[in-house]
Amino acid sequence: MKAPRTLAAAMLAAAACLLAGCNSGPKPPPGVTGDPGLGKLALTQYACQSCHKIPGVVGSDTFVGRPLEGLGKRPFIAGNLLNNQPNLMHWIRDPQAIDPATAMPNLGVSEKDARNISAYLLTLD
Amino acid sequence: MAEASTRLIVKTAVLTLLAAGTLGAAAGLLVWRAGWYNIGATTPHLGIVYTGLEQAMRYSVQHHARKVAVPALGEADVVRGGIVYRDNCAQCHGGPGVAPNIHGLSMQPAPGPLVDAPMRWQSRELYWITRHGVKMSGMPAWEFRLTDADTWAVVAFMNRMPAMTVADYKTLTAMAPAEDQAQARDPAAGEAR
Repeated sequence: MKAPRTLAAAMLAAAACLLAGCNSGPKPPPGVTGDPGLGKLALTQYACQSCHKIPGVVGSDTFVGRPLEGLGKRPFIAGNLLNNQPNLMHWIRDPQAIDPATAMPNLGVSEKDARNISAYLLTLD
Repeated sequence: MAEASTRLIVKTAVLTLLAAGTLGAAAGLLVWRAGWYNIGATTPHLGIVYTGLEQAMRYSVQHHARKVAVPALGEADVVRGGIVYRDNCAQCHGGPGVAPNIHGLSMQPAPGPLVDAPMRWQSRELYWITRHGVKMSGMPAWEFRLTDADTWAVVAFMNRMPAMTVADYKTLTAMAPAEDQAQARDPAAGEAR
């Protein structure tokens, strides 16, 4: 009797999680600060997913910006910038300061949101 | 004998389908009435809901725009379209190197960029979407706000956007001061010109 009940509870929890949209995201990689779960939520409020395909984020098939799958494992971002959290945050907050010709705009991302967003993106492998 | 077993198979199949259908409808009704689906715009749709709705919109637009005749569009339309786009579209859709405003960024579904619009849509479909809008998506209808010529001009501009640099976009959208709103909103006035 106990096993089916545990199973039922697990299924209910999974269903509730699906419906509510779970935010209990992964832990940030070593050396990275911020909350990846909050970052995953924040990035949808800057419409990141409307140009980038981002694993774990619901959106259209879009190729305006590059897909962000595996970002945590890339050695460079934005062509020639070392991939670390400060550089990623700088790029997210002011891409045209790094590459004036980029089509990626300045989206007015706050430092806190950029920290959380970069924490989420750096978990992608 | 064969007839009796066939009848049993059919009866079982029909009853099973009926039971499954009833159960499915009851589950759907429960989720719908209990309000469990989160309508808040800080929670994304379930993937299957998002993709299903998006695909339905695509099919609907393709169907309804199938008979729209596309006029010849020239350089003047692109230039005019840049002004129309800047004044009415960039607020939610942004442009090359230009972000949407906060309303556009915070919408769910995100209005999304149009720099790749011609890769996703035919000209007649872009015209139809602009003219009629899209229910429940936040996309307004422009039929009563823009002249037909301006609607086609903005289509011509969108068709050019993939090839535009950040500087091109700045130049094209900076060519004229902001429109007189009253004139922009009176399609009849535009038709006369």
